[in-house]
Amino acid sequence: MRTYEVFLKREGKDPFTHAGSFDAPDEEMALIYARETYGRRSEGEQMWIVPRTAILSANEKELAMADRDHKHNNGLLVAELRRMSTGQES
Amino acid sequence: MVPSAGERELVLALADDELCVGQNHAWWIAIGPFLEEDLAFTSIAQDELGHARSLYSLLTDDVDELAYGRRDNEYRSAHIAELLCHDWSWALVRHVLHDIAEQIRWSALVGSSWEELSHLAERVLGEEQFHLQHGSSLLNRLLADELGQQRLTPAILELAPMGREYFVSSDDQLAENGIMTMPLAVQEQLWIDQTGELFEQYDININFGSEAPFAGRSGIRSADFAELHEEMTAVLRIDPQARW
Repeated sequence: MRTYEVFLKREGKDPFTHAGSFDAPDEEMALIYARETYGRRSEGEQMWIVPRTAILSANEKELAMADRDHKHNNGLLVAELRRMSTGQES
Repeated sequence: MVPSAGERELVLALADDELCVGQNHAWWIAIGPFLEEDLAFTSIAQDELGHARSLYSLLTDDVDELAYGRRDNEYRSAHIAELLCHDWSWALVRHVLHDIAEQIRWSALVGSSWEELSHLAERVLGEEQFHLQHGSSLLNRLLADELGQQRLTPAILELAPMGREYFVSSDDQLAENGIMTMPLAVQEQLWIDQTGELFEQYDININFGSEAPFAGRSGIRSADFAELHEEMTAVLRIDPQARW
């Protein structure tokens, strides 16, 4: 058996979202079981079925390294600097 | 349309087959061989019960009464449909034999002179295609495995000859009258050919016998029916007047 991850997309502009996972012996049966497990109550109009082994997982430590304060710019600092340079009261 | 006695018998037979197989499949809820198969198999059970409901509706406004309230000798189910099959090998083999038959029978009803029946057949065939794909995919994978083949072969040899009863009807004018677009005898031969071919690939040679069994169609119930009927009517008997 192989584990597959299921992503469903509803009608319209919604993005694909993770719905869950399931096991199947091969691709043909994966399609059958995915339909019954995650699509039998019309939960979505499109479905992606991905073997879990095809998913690249990012290393948690490296991911934490990429997260820095200055990447979280919400514009407040820039707004403050602009106000100062144009002489406006904040 | 008001059906003739023979046409009524046909629809009852089709409906009772669906009712029994649906109820039997549903027995596996929560105890299927693995979670995904459990969900798929019992979802098919629901479909089959739905088909039974639609068929009974062609004959009556009180579906529950017709489905559950008859005397034993008034049911027309084929004995293969009544078998409890509380061994997964048997349940899976019956599922496949049943759905090969369903595919053939429903196809022969598309274009029926009985308009409602023809419409129903068109709708049902979509689901049936999926049932057969599910059943034969799993069966083929298990038969390709030595242990799987060992477990499935006894069920195949015993059940396959029983499956001929799916094509037994007391009315031999169904094709002539346009109710079915293909005579039952031709459908039966198609079923024997398809079933035989499926298992020949694995060197399993079936003896289909010289004639089709017909006890179920003539009103005689098999040994398993009492238990099956007891279970399918259990909730109804708690409060027969309850409204759902």
